[in-house]
Amino acid sequence: MMLLPNSDCSLAESSPNSFSNLDTTVMDRIWPRRQNGNVVRLRRRKNAAALIYRNLSKITTALLATGYLWMALIPIPPLSQGVYIDENALQPAQVNTNWNWQDVHQADLYLHHLEGFRDKNATSEQRASFIRDEFAKLGLSAATQNYTFMTPSSNVSGINAYAILNSPRTSGSEAIVISASWLSEVGKEPYNLRGIATVIALAGFLKNYSLWAKDIIFVIGDNYLDGIHAWLNAYHGTIPQNLNTDLLELTSGVIWNALNIDYSGHSFSHLGVFFEGLNGRLPNQDLINSLRLISHYSAGVPLVLYDHLELHDAPQNSLLTSAPEFMKRSPQLREFEHRARNVKRHVSYQARGRPSAPHGLFHHFRIDAITLYAVPADGPHGFFALGRIIESTLRTSNNLLERLHASFFFYILTTPATFMKIGTFLPSAVLVAVAMIFSGLGQWVEAGWVQESPSELHPQGKEDDSKAANATITTVTTLQPTWRPRRRPVIPVITTICVTHCIGLLAFAMIDTSYFLQNQVVASWILLLALGLVPQALLTIIPSQPPETAPFSLLLQSFNLCLASTVISITSLLNFSLAATLAVTLGIPLICSRLFSRPSQTSTSHFSKPCQLAVYAAYWILTWGWLLLPQEVEKAVWNWEVLGVWFAPFVCIVYAPLVMQAGLVGLSQS
Amino acid sequence: MAKKTLALTLAMTLYVVQTTPTTPQERYHEDLTIRPLTDGKVVTAFTFTTLLGGASPRDPRDAESSAQHYTLFPLTLGQILREYSVTELHLSLNAGKWNYNSWGFPDHPSVGTGAELWAWMADGGPLSVDNRWMGLRNALAGLFCASLGSLDDRRTSSPASAFPLSSVPISHDSTPYALRHATLPSEHVCTENLTPFLKLLPCKSRAGLARLLDPQRVFDTDWHGLGVHVRSTEAGIELSLGAQAVFDPVRRNGGKRRDWSFQSLFDRQIDVSCPVASSSTIHLVVPDIRGYNLSPEPVASNDTVNIYSPTSHVPLDITMSWPEEYTFKYPLPPPAPQTPLSVKRTLYGSSQTRGVLFVSFSNNDHSPITVGYLETLPALVTLWMHTMKVDVGGIARDDLMSDMIYHPPLLLANGHHGPSTLQTTLTIPAKSTLRLSVDLSKTFLKYTEHPPDAMRGWDLPPAVLFPVPLLLDGERANASLAGQSIPKRMYTPTLLVDLATPDFSMPYNVIILSCTLMTLIFGSIFNLLTRKWTIVKMVD
Repeated sequence: MMLLPNSDCSLAESSPNSFSNLDTTVMDRIWPRRQNGNVVRLRRRKNAAALIYRNLSKITTALLATGYLWMALIPIPPLSQGVYIDENALQPAQVNTNWNWQDVHQADLYLHHLEGFRDKNATSEQRASFIRDEFAKLGLSAATQNYTFMTPSSNVSGINAYAILNSPRTSGSEAIVISASWLSEVGKEPYNLRGIATVIALAGFLKNYSLWAKDIIFVIGDNYLDGIHAWLNAYHGTIPQNLNTDLLELTSGVIWNALNIDYSGHSFSHLGVFFEGLNGRLPNQDLINSLRLISHYSAGVPLVLYDHLELHDAPQNSLLTSAPEFMKRSPQLREFEHRARNVKRHVSYQARGRPSAPHGLFHHFRIDAITLYAVPADGPHGFFALGRIIESTLRTSNNLLERLHASFFFYILTTPATFMKIGTFLPSAVLVAVAMIFSGLGQWVEAGWVQESPSELHPQGKEDDSKAANATITTVTTLQPTWRPRRRPVIPVITTICVTHCIGLLAFAMIDTSYFLQNQVVASWILLLALGLVPQALLTIIPSQPPETAPFSLLLQSFNLCLASTVISITSLLNFSLAATLAVTLGIPLICSRLFSRPSQTSTSHFSKPCQLAVYAAYWILTWGWLLLPQEVEKAVWNWEVLGVWFAPFVCIVYAPLVMQAGLVGLSQS
Repeated sequence: MAKKTLALTLAMTLYVVQTTPTTPQERYHEDLTIRPLTDGKVVTAFTFTTLLGGASPRDPRDAESSAQHYTLFPLTLGQILREYSVTELHLSLNAGKWNYNSWGFPDHPSVGTGAELWAWMADGGPLSVDNRWMGLRNALAGLFCASLGSLDDRRTSSPASAFPLSSVPISHDSTPYALRHATLPSEHVCTENLTPFLKLLPCKSRAGLARLLDPQRVFDTDWHGLGVHVRSTEAGIELSLGAQAVFDPVRRNGGKRRDWSFQSLFDRQIDVSCPVASSSTIHLVVPDIRGYNLSPEPVASNDTVNIYSPTSHVPLDITMSWPEEYTFKYPLPPPAPQTPLSVKRTLYGSSQTRGVLFVSFSNNDHSPITVGYLETLPALVTLWMHTMKVDVGGIARDDLMSDMIYHPPLLLANGHHGPSTLQTTLTIPAKSTLRLSVDLSKTFLKYTEHPPDAMRGWDLPPAVLFPVPLLLDGERANASLAGQSIPKRMYTPTLLVDLATPDFSMPYNVIILSCTLMTLIFGSIFNLLTRKWTIVKMVD
């Protein structure tokens, strides 16, 4: 309909017809109903398309509203379902654990030594060689690894200690890792001393059993994330350019699973699980589900997500505190709020691509890993419970005959016991993307046609009449508005899009320099202002289009919406949280960008120049405003430089240019 | 009664008539070597040798086969050897990773993880060598209850310089001999292999040294392996059955003491001696460090070895204890490597399409070491030879590698791909580490080639380091720099390679999804192709 809005006849499929040259009356006599059927079908199709086009804005609005509402409803319990173990081989919590008070005593002794190192501010080398020697005293082959990451801001260096338990009777071609970092970033206590003590004590305990089917590797990483990252890269022989380290002295086989221990507090009441990995990768859900069962049945410790205590356990700083009393009391609302907090935390890790704890670095190497976080409390649990849980989890991992593959890799855990399948959350972001692409395609069609009122038609009427005369049936076009095709010059639009993405690339190159990071406050403001002015300058370069062609802003918005929609749909498969964030930040601003644009001189302007500039400023802040969050920027750049997290380049090269294009749409004349 | 006596006499007479002129002299020796190590482990190596005096392997060209009568030599094995006229046979079934650095060279050198079978056979006769090799491995698979049948042409190669013929040829004419060698790294030795192994012994496990081979204990050790070695010597055919195990008394003791005795290690003592054994000895290699008690007194001893005789001293329970040591402390820093050469082999990269094979050779000695290096890889991986790098301390040293032979995987007549072999001679300078790396790509298997069981990955067989004869007669200019070689073959650990694997646990989802897609695409294209397009007039 849109392409041939006013034609009298059109191509249509019909049954084999070799008599098309025959007289119409004969044809009608032979296939009267058939012919009518084709016409009816064509007309129905055109009407349906016309209906969609007429109601495009309603459909778009409905899709947007559904998408956003769905996103908002993600935490409601009916959308989640109970977790279950999918891999039969795991058999979680089915073993008798042997970890005992004697081993707890060993852990206490190690802790005493480590506290000494903390108190006298020992260097990395002293710590690492102490840990290596402790491993060697247990009869394990142990070594240390020096590493230095060169980043624009500063160099990050440290020393890791690690040991390999060559399990009896095995070929050593598979391995499980138990790791702990020197620092902890979750709780108040900065040093993960108890975590390290647990790992060393476990090494001494686990070597007394011959039932391990895989080698067990113990890794104590320096700092928080970079130690483990350097160790993993050296282990897999994939040392990046900016990492200065040697290949490891000791190696074992392919690592399938890893457990990272974070126990920085004095005692713990709940065991928290962190699972988000590098660039939004998640471990197989079976690992988390096994841990939940094991922690409940082997040690009686409730499992929670992150450090969020259970709903009934603690009066956490709730959004509902300022709400009226009846809302505070509502169990449904409290449940919703509890789940919403978990989802929010999940999205904040996954969208940024940041590993939520050191385990996330393993995901990069196709290793399913989680962090066990001992949520600090006055009691009642300690080394005894943690040791049992780890021992039993290791036995479960030890049972695996193949990599974890049966359970889910794409999920949102709303509580430890409930999760959402991909089908229950993915459509929310995809609906927004669909709304955007509908709107973009609508704009593209709109750009291709110009409506002419009957009065304007008359001067050209002669030509149209002669065309119409060729058709067998004369149409009464003069009473209806007619549509005239117009040119859609795409070269300036594509150039503009390319230039904005190049500006994004340049901005990223500037942010990723040592100069920027050292003078961050000043440099951010300069960059922010420059990036605000560049598009203004860009607009002046664009040659003005002849009036009979499609307006630049319309075409730009069409391209911009289609591009953004594609980005959101693709990202939604890889990293839902990022896609959802994009859908929220891009959806309405991009669709509405042309509402504020200045209409052409001929018609009456309903937006004044200052108002338009204010709108542009809003887009500008949405595009580059994050430059004024120095800590976020610094962290994102560090994550990119050291860990290879794609978030910083993605924001600069994909997200910001898309919003910048929308800003340009508003700024340019239509 | 009279009938019975008559039958017995007849049998005896027949026996005498049959055996006296033709039956070769058969002798049976048994030997056990025990080596307590500084890290508390105890290496034990059992060797049961049967010599079939005056016998020689069957010439494959001889059609008729003479009758086989043995008293000590196992008939089941003898029949197999004769049927396939095998001159030399070596079979080993091992579990664990031999740690050369702490345990030194093993008494029986075949310690590669999994199953390894190699045989030298004289060529000629009606059956080809490959046919006999197939028959041999199937017969041995039946005899030892091991999956040796899967050592097919995808795993078989003939690296003659690494596994040379050590037997005396049948006759003096120049009969060509052929080697067939195959390894199956994923094979795991188990009780079902030990039982048929013990059946080959004249006293089974009821008497003599084999009394100690209690499967409960042997298969709980850090490393254990069985070996069958047949060679033909000047004196006759020699069958040597070996069992090795590395015990960890500290682990059994809950991480406390390293004291051990036969009773604690094997849960048995030698209470009966084997009456048919012509000799039976136990060698205990005494450690350098002092402070231990040994009981009972040896029958003979020198500085390094104590010798015990389980024939004269029964029951025998050798006990070694450190009375002044409350808990055993591992030596710190860890003791220096026990072998002149340490090897580490890894497969780098975590992708399913490519990786890097990396081998590092560390020379712990003060003179250069020259070794042969043999890599036999199934066609699952393809080595890219142009990416091969050899360096010492970061400096490329291609001059240290010589005599390189590489056979890429061959497509065989039955559609299988044979293994690729890479063999080269490396000279490792004194007190330094040579690193060799080759890029490799991993194949994408057809879905029928995936095994039906759980997919843990594919094992790559161990690489083999073998002694090479050193050229000292001026053939090479740097021959004097070549130093020494290693005394015995060494094996590297196996590797696990991850290939792209479809998730076979959900075939129906995959089938349904792909069929739907196919139908949609086919349906719409077919629809468009078979339709006729006409002009339809529309009246508005």
